[in-house]
This record gives sequence, structure tokens and C-alpha cells, in this order.
Amino acid sequence: MKYFREISVALALMALLVALAMVAPAFYQPQPLLSLATREAPTLIVACGMALVIICRQIDISVASQFAICSVCAGLLAAMKLPLIVVLPASICIGAVLGSINGALIAGLGLPSIVVTLATMVTWREALRWQRQGEFVNLPDNVQWFGLSQASGQWTIIAIALALLVILAICLKRLAAGRFVYAVGSDAEAARLAGIPPQRVTFLTFAFMGALVGLAAMMNVVQSPQVDPKSGTGIELKTIAAVVVGGVAISGGRGNLWGAFAGLLLLACVSPALTHLHVESYWEKAIQGMIILLAVVADGIRTRRGNT
Amino acid sequence: MNKFLRSNLAKHEAILLAVVIGEWFYFNSVGAHFGSLDNTFDIIRHSVEIGLLALVMTPIILTGGIDLSVGSLLGLCAILFGKLWRDAGLSPVTAGICTIGIGALAGGLNATLITWLRLPPLIVTLGTYSLFRGLAEAITHGVDTFTGFPSSFLFLGQERFWGIPAQAPIFIAVTVAVWLLVHRTTFGRSFRAIGYSPEGARYAGLPVDRRIAMVYVLAGIVSAIAAIIYTARLGQAKADAGTGYELYAITAVVLGGTSIFGGIGTVHGTLLGVAAIAVLSNGLVHARQPREVAGMLTGLLLILALSSSVVPKIFARLRSRRHTAPPNVPAVKTS
Repeated sequence: MKYFREISVALALMALLVALAMVAPAFYQPQPLLSLATREAPTLIVACGMALVIICRQIDISVASQFAICSVCAGLLAAMKLPLIVVLPASICIGAVLGSINGALIAGLGLPSIVVTLATMVTWREALRWQRQGEFVNLPDNVQWFGLSQASGQWTIIAIALALLVILAICLKRLAAGRFVYAVGSDAEAARLAGIPPQRVTFLTFAFMGALVGLAAMMNVVQSPQVDPKSGTGIELKTIAAVVVGGVAISGGRGNLWGAFAGLLLLACVSPALTHLHVESYWEKAIQGMIILLAVVADGIRTRRGNT
Repeated sequence: MNKFLRSNLAKHEAILLAVVIGEWFYFNSVGAHFGSLDNTFDIIRHSVEIGLLALVMTPIILTGGIDLSVGSLLGLCAILFGKLWRDAGLSPVTAGICTIGIGALAGGLNATLITWLRLPPLIVTLGTYSLFRGLAEAITHGVDTFTGFPSSFLFLGQERFWGIPAQAPIFIAVTVAVWLLVHRTTFGRSFRAIGYSPEGARYAGLPVDRRIAMVYVLAGIVSAIAAIIYTARLGQAKADAGTGYELYAITAVVLGGTSIFGGIGTVHGTLLGVAAIAVLSNGLVHARQPREVAGMLTGLLLILALSSSVVPKIFARLRSRRHTAPPNVPAVKTS
């Protein structure tokens, strides 16, 4: 079955939701669900980028540091009373620049992405801590929820994230640029012989990832009256986990954004589900780890059966 | 080719050694007490745990794998050690032996998933990274801290044994063992062969799965030892012990010249990598620089170390392209 993984993740998610509906209907109150979706919307944007990067057979573990830098810079710009119409593109540009640095080192010099992004993760994180000493940035009043009411602000954020997901998923499937990413991810040398410049595709994928992180950071900044310089901590592992659970192969060239979306929803529902099922929330990380392992073990057993 | 790689690696290590010595002299001239024996022991004491993790990370990366779970496993082992000692009433020695057994089991879990199901090590250990840390948090409910260990146990982490930090002999023993394993046995050869080409190694008759399983189990065992030393040094065990250590360990290994693709690398290179990071972060404190600078410099050093092996090749390629008709330029490796 072609979409075995996507379907099985969606089924697991449905099973969880049905179980919650029967055991803990309180989970389905609109207000907490809305704020959960709003909280996870920036993660969804980053997860889309991470899916692209992993499909391109790379990995980016520096996104949390990029996220923090974009958040703080956006916060500082907003605190200078610049209008949001300036701050938002600025945040996206800063992200794109940070992503381009990764891209230049990986595509230009041919360095392994896991090590490059490990190095940039440490460098950016420490540089930010050095400059800001963990200080929060206070935002002017008109920034929170884009100056809208809370409800419409939340819906705007969710709408932006979902629209981005749909557009990217379609582009990845239909546009030549999207197919290039798959081609380079499954075999860079074959792609090159077919006339696709693998280095340029890789570079642009990382730059685009950075831009998405900049956008996601902005979506996160507007949710609170202050910017936490530690915001985004752990987002790299969360998004990698979501993408992998959703069936994107770490070896590149396989997977799609819908799967990544389902994976993210599944992982995001764990924590509120635990609360409603009266399980101590300390189990969250262990259960997320179990989900990752189960997803890949299911895959492994399937391919093992296929081979023998 | 092999000779070329080996000489290149030797050059890398010589540069790294020069960096460490340069760091040492610089900080010795800047910081007042940097060069003192006490401070040297302090550096050793603080780098033993990361050093141990980096040592066992070396054979893993040599086989072309990676283990992101060692830091989490350190945390899990630390609190299980505390649990065994305080709640099960075992003596520190018995608890330590049990902890090492648990570490071996946890490494065995990684090994099973990687070899039996042929799953990518990055993903398996990402899952166990989350799982082990999550178990540690679940067992302690996130807040429980184990303290009040007997002084005979704390001796291991805080006192001196024949004039040197008490954990140093353990570190030296593990170093010698891993060095011999990687450089003087057929196991070490097979790790490299697997790193170069797992399929080729299998055709050459090597038990690839068993060798790979061995390095992950070894990592589990040594992570447990590191956890015990960590607990003894701090005198407490908490669920967040060792957070981020896996990244320091990987940084040290790669800084030491081991290729992340596997097949190339040495244990003494890793030791130099650990030393470069440890001296830098300690020295900057003595030079009254903010602590964050150490992290930034480590990141930059890592990128420099990587580029140093690549940039000459790119120049050579450009030069040859200018002189001769463009051959099939080898594609840049992109994974």
C-alpha cells in the first residue's frame, strides 16, 4: 500500500481521539482545543520546513536557535514601534539569512548537514545568550494577536499555518521545484545527471527552511506580551519526530507533508490527552519516544517481511 | 588512498594538538590560576563524563552510526542508581553494578532496533533519547532528587586518589580499553570496514550486525559508568542529569577528526577534541570572558575543523578544472 504509513498514523490519531471522546469528553471543549492548535501552529510551520529538508536527505538541528534569534529580533524591532508589516518580513529575512548560512556550508562546501547544523545551533544559541543574557523583550500592546482580538488572532495564526501546509503540500507534489527536492533526496548524482543542480536545490531548501522558521517565530511572538529568548527550545527534535512518525524517510526522497501533519497532531495530542486521562504529565516525553520507536519499528518489520 | 587519508588525519590531529597547546599557553598567560595543578585537576574532573561519552561515541561514528541517546541514558542511569541505593537499600557498589547492567540493556535496545530491524541509528536513538529522558522524569515525577550519598561513594567524584582526581583512573582505564579495541584489535578494523561499506564488510565475512550491536551496548555500559561518576561528582542525581551531553560528545569526536560518515577516525583524536573543548571553556572563565563565548567558539571551531579537510579539495578541483577539460566533477556528498 502506497500510503500505508500516512494512513496508519491517521488511524492511530483517530483511535486516540475516539478513545478520548469516550473516556474524557472534556478534551473536546472548544477553548482549550483552540489554544492547543494555536500553540502548535508555529511548530507545524517548522515541521513543514523540516519535512522538506529531510526529503532532501539532509537534517537541520539548528532550527531552535534560529527560532530564538528570529523571535528576539522580531521582538526588538516591534519594541522599536515598527509596524507589523515591517517586522514580519524582517523576521522571515533574518531566518532566511541564518538558513542560507547553513545551506552555504552544506551545499557549497559539501559538509555533512548534521554536524554543520549542530555547530550553528551551538553558535547561535550561545551568541544570543551572550548578547541578551536571557532577558525577555517586552512588546508594545498592538503586537499581541496582530492587534486583533484574541479569538480572531488565534484563528489567523491557525489559518496561516494550515494555508501554508496546503500550499506547500501541493507545490511539493505538482511543481517542478518540489519534484527537484525529491529527486535530489533520493539520488543526488542521478538528479545531477538529469540536469538538476543538487547543490542549488539543497541550498535553497535550507534557506527556505530558515524563512519558514522566521515566519513561525513571528507566529509565536504575537501569542504573548513578552518574547522569551528560550522560546523554541526542543522544537528541532519535536519536528523531526513528527516528520519521521509521519512517514518521511530519513534516507531522503520519500514522504509527504500530510504525513508530517498527522505525525505532529499525534504527538501534540499526547500531552493534553495525558492530562484528561489523569496520567501524570511526566510521562509525556517517554510516550513520545515510544511513539517514534513504534512508528519506525512498524516500518522496519514491514520491510523485513518484504525482504524475506 | 589509505595512506593519503591516514596522513591527512595525522595532520588534523597535529593541528588540533597545536590548538590545545596554544589555548593552554594563552590562558596561562591571561588567567592567574589557570596553569595551577588544582585547576588542571578541575578541568579533568569536569570533563570526565563527556570524555567517557565521547570515547564510546568514537567507535559508533566509525561504523557510520550515531547515538543521540547517551545523554538521556546518563540521566536515566543516574536516577536509577539513586533509586537502587536509596529505595532498594543496596550498597553503592551493588547499585553501581546493577546500573551498569541497566546501561547495557538500554544499549542493547538501541542495538536490537538498529541491527535486527535495520533502522537508521539517527532515528532509533532519537526515539530512545526521548524515551530514556522521559522514563527518568516519570520515575522521579520530575522533582525527586537523590542526595545524601555516603562519603565513601562521593570520594569517587570529589576526592583525590594518590594525588590525582579519583575518577581519573577510571577514565584512563576506559581510554586505554577503547584505544586498544579500536586501534589494536580486529574489532577496530571491522568498525572501520563497516563504516566504509557495510555491504562490503558483509561480503568480506564480517559479522556486521554483531559488531554494530557491540558498539551500542558498549556505549550503554560506559554511559552508566559516566552516570555513576556524575552522581558522585555532584553528590546528587536528578532527572535532567547529562542534558545535552550527547551533543558535546559528538562535537568532541568530530572535532577530533572522525568522519561523520564513518570509516575514518582515531581515539586519540577524540581525546584531543575533548581537551580542546574543556580547556577552552575553563580557560575563558579564568580569562574573565562570558561563558557563552566558549560555546560560540566551540561551534566555530567545529565548522573550521570540518572545512579544513574540504577547502583544499575544492581548491584542487577548481585548479584542475582550469587546466584540463572538465571531467565528471564528483557530486558533493549530500547526506
